[in-house]
Amino acid sequence: MRAIRVTIMVAALALLAGGALWLHESRARATVLLADIDRLAADPKLAPGLRERGRHVFLDHCAACHGDDGHGDRAGGVPDLTDRDFLYGQGRPSEIEQIALHGIRSGDSKGWRLAVMPAYGTPQPSATEAIKPLSPVMINDIIQFLRAREGLPHDVAAAARGRPVFKGSGACWDCHGPDGYGDSAIGAPNLVDRIWLYGDGSPAWVFRSISEGRHGRCPAFAHRLDPVSIRSVALYVASLARGGKS
Amino acid sequence: MMRRVLVAGTRRSLVLCAAGAVLGLLIAGFGLFTARGTRMAGIPPEDVAIVNQVPILRSDFDQQLRALVDLSPSQATPAQKRKVLDDMIREELYIQRGVELGLPTDDTETRTALLTATESLVAQNALASVPTDAELRAFYRAHVDRYATTGTMELKALVPASRKMEDAAAAVAALRKGAPLAAVTQHSHLVSTGKVDDGEEFYFAARIHLGDDAFAAARRMHAGDVAGPIAGPDGPVILVMHSHRRPVAQPFDVAKSRVADDLIADKMAQLTKANDRFLRKRADVRIAGDLE
Repeated sequence: MRAIRVTIMVAALALLAGGALWLHESRARATVLLADIDRLAADPKLAPGLRERGRHVFLDHCAACHGDDGHGDRAGGVPDLTDRDFLYGQGRPSEIEQIALHGIRSGDSKGWRLAVMPAYGTPQPSATEAIKPLSPVMINDIIQFLRAREGLPHDVAAAARGRPVFKGSGACWDCHGPDGYGDSAIGAPNLVDRIWLYGDGSPAWVFRSISEGRHGRCPAFAHRLDPVSIRSVALYVASLARGGKS
Repeated sequence: MMRRVLVAGTRRSLVLCAAGAVLGLLIAGFGLFTARGTRMAGIPPEDVAIVNQVPILRSDFDQQLRALVDLSPSQATPAQKRKVLDDMIREELYIQRGVELGLPTDDTETRTALLTATESLVAQNALASVPTDAELRAFYRAHVDRYATTGTMELKALVPASRKMEDAAAAVAALRKGAPLAAVTQHSHLVSTGKVDDGEEFYFAARIHLGDDAFAAARRMHAGDVAGPIAGPDGPVILVMHSHRRPVAQPFDVAKSRVADDLIADKMAQLTKANDRFLRKRADVRIAGDLE
């Protein structure tokens, strides 16, 4: 009889302890999810733990493309997450969280998918826009125009010819802006900051980007990771650009 | 005595069972016949509202808030948040009503959007799987011809002003003997067709401008070669090749992003096919006799 009583007591205590733990976890989870993620990044109590959790999520789900250290892969057009150059948005944790949730050209309708780099060296550069192909000469002229804008050695005559193509018939300005500064609202890279998403920025690589087109992708994790993990990885990635700090 | 206790116990069990069954039926009936149905005890922290069991995600709400008032949740006023939330609840209610009214069956635009969304959902699985380096390299090796540079050529396409085949043939013979182009052009009264005068062209553009026959001849030419005359709509064409860059296979590291795109596209196509088969297999599709 006594053994039964002890067993019941132990079971009740275990239940109580389990309940208390669950309650604590639930509250902690709620605190993280109810907070404004951009402010959460500066919370000295919560942020370090979340970033550490985010690091593990990153290694499990993002490092395959971005690398363990987040430096990306220029051959594959995988962005460097540590260079403070943000293709989409301004690098705020809230923006990174949206990318982690819904991806880029991921098939998720809430993801980023507004702009695609046309393949100007093909008969139909864009599947959605009425854009005309460019000849190799015109592409080279655009490259020289960009090199001039970057302050790199260039062919002056070709750059002069490239300017009206960039700002006119090539329709490059439509996404990259008339001066090539890009538009992070649509993921159009800055072309004059000497930071290159594909390759080393040499004329050969830029020629490939213009003639073959680009449309990098990032998967959506909304249905594969829980909201706290996504929030954590967003905080971690945001910290990478700041050298690991909040 | 013993028997009386057993009977009383059995009766009590039956009463409790019946009471339990009635209570269960009442709860189920309430759930089934009231508009709100079964409700969750609270709103999970990842949601901002639950509308007829459909959650409105906090991440969507935050994004909507930023899109509409350009403020984060901690910066927006309660009134701004309430307005955004009300709009999202209204949207959810209308969508649910639309489903009740059969819009996915009747409305063309809804069907198109639903079709695209479902196809995208299937594709998401392919996009979510990150190909390994070994997979990419194997795919590259299997389709290496896809990853060649686009060929380009710079050439002249000339026709004799007389449009006569024999004049063109004479000009070609002279050029092949080494006569300067300018001299032959002047002597044979050659004129440009005007179709390839813009300098270097990609193959696809050259094909369009020259026509299939002349392009096929041009593809075989090297820099300095002369070809023709080739009969065409502008007359007998003479081709003089200035420079010709043939497609060259790109190394894996250069083609990597395209390889990844193609591999994913390949997986998407396979998944879509498998999904088509699965849906057809489980569906009860009956076809009218005249179309069977």
